[in-house]
Amino acid sequence: MRDLRKPGWVSIVLSAFTFLFLLFPLVIIIFASFSPTQILKFPPQSFSLQWYENIFTSSSKFIQGLIYSLEIGAVATVVDIALGVMACLAVSRYTFKGRQALTVFFTSPMFVPSITFGFVLLRIFTRMHGVSAFIQILTGHVVIILPYIIRNTLAIMSGFDWNLEDASASLGADPVYTFFHVTLPLVSPGITAGALLAFLYSFDEAVVARLLHGINFNTLPVIIMNYMTFDFDPTVAAISSILIVASLLLMIVVERVIGLDVFLKS
Amino acid sequence: MSQRKKLSILGLSMPASFLLVICFVFPLGYILVTTLAEDGPEYYIKFLTDPFYLKVLWRTVWISLVCTGVSLLFGYPTAYFLARTRSRMKNMLLIVTIFPFLVSAVVRAYGWQVILGKRGIVNQFLMAVGLVHKPLVILNTWMAVVIGMVHLLIPYMILSIAGVIQNIDPNVEYASYSLGCNKRETFWKVIFPLSAPGIISGCILVFTLSITSFVTPQLLGGAKFVMMSQLVDSQINTVFNLSFAAAISYILLFIILLFQFLANWSTKGIMNRVGGGGKRA
Repeated sequence: MRDLRKPGWVSIVLSAFTFLFLLFPLVIIIFASFSPTQILKFPPQSFSLQWYENIFTSSSKFIQGLIYSLEIGAVATVVDIALGVMACLAVSRYTFKGRQALTVFFTSPMFVPSITFGFVLLRIFTRMHGVSAFIQILTGHVVIILPYIIRNTLAIMSGFDWNLEDASASLGADPVYTFFHVTLPLVSPGITAGALLAFLYSFDEAVVARLLHGINFNTLPVIIMNYMTFDFDPTVAAISSILIVASLLLMIVVERVIGLDVFLKS
Repeated sequence: MSQRKKLSILGLSMPASFLLVICFVFPLGYILVTTLAEDGPEYYIKFLTDPFYLKVLWRTVWISLVCTGVSLLFGYPTAYFLARTRSRMKNMLLIVTIFPFLVSAVVRAYGWQVILGKRGIVNQFLMAVGLVHKPLVILNTWMAVVIGMVHLLIPYMILSIAGVIQNIDPNVEYASYSLGCNKRETFWKVIFPLSAPGIISGCILVFTLSITSFVTPQLLGGAKFVMMSQLVDSQINTVFNLSFAAAISYILLFIILLFQFLANWSTKGIMNRVGGGGKRA
């Protein structure tokens, strides 16, 4: 009976194609980053690290942008973990009228186009004067990434047995102790997955960050995008390769620590 | 107890609600009202009566439909494979699916530029083999945009569907086999209908993300292949017509909300019949 549930050859062939398609541009980028010439030639004849050097010497401040992106992503994620987990507790621990509506409200930023939201924030901040680009972009990202944390946390909380909290209370634990010692350890894989996706969304986000950029304040994706409009050399490939390898390492850590099944549940 | 419950719900949902009201709902409402008060419906009418802008809207919708269709066509078999394979490579393939998620849209568009450009990998190959004598123009056409966008969005489709297929009770399938259906009949009559919630949420997600996408069409379609988000961007950054940018922004938002509403409403029956699958976009 077992083999009846095995994937057939149609699914094997089409999925093999899909996997190659997904990897292809990423592999090409890594090749291009070592190209000795401006245009990547295939097959590559020699090897050069000049584009990696160029990341540090270029007038486009890639490293500065990287730091801004990391800062905004980290702050936005930490804020949203706190807000998101509290909101999820409210809508999944209790049953009450309007619960469904509240859940939709918490995830509503997902339904608004980034360009619309970015434009609206731009207009508001122009009227307010003197708000730094860091705060502007941070505000946008805190809102945009909240749904990712909420969805992943809700997915795992929906399978959580809330009787465990009552059991903990009946043994004399107060609600705060129960949350940190009973609830949190059991739901943390969902929170971690959500936080990871949320952080990377912010780190990669280019639409809101582009509209709200400051004179000397551009996040990394925006710098890369601007660079690509004027230059077509593999400096972008070099910085992209670093990001690709970093993402891959992150992915492997996640696989080892919490497993990848959480991504199929969200 | 009830009083305490109310306080807990209120206290826990307050911070997130506060953030969304101040930084999200209020700005969206405020700018809508003030731009309408200043300019009236003038720019909305301009958009909806000018064939040039309507063409951009239409182009955005059909490109998004094509992307959704292609993502489903390749995403479904991939999801099925991922959900069902017992291969030891499963985890590695899951990494291959999720990992591009983590790579920025800007970076991935760059990869496609290197591949599809005038002197890119595809053209180098075709010319070396002698299939073409002049480089093909792929970049800045609908093809490049579709390729880039499918690459960006197909993981969403795969993960939506794979989660649902994985949760289908194997006994339902065994029942189908024991009642005399073969593998193909079982797939089309049992598995496919039961995976409808995943297909629906995947399609809604991919369509919504394509219709609002900016980075991919900007970098792979450029000025020759403009979509809705780029129109807003060019009104802000090149034309400096903020009133018109506002009108286009809200038209795009309205289209998304209308689509979400229609999609949820029209698939309600299917979702209820197969038990919802627990997932919604």
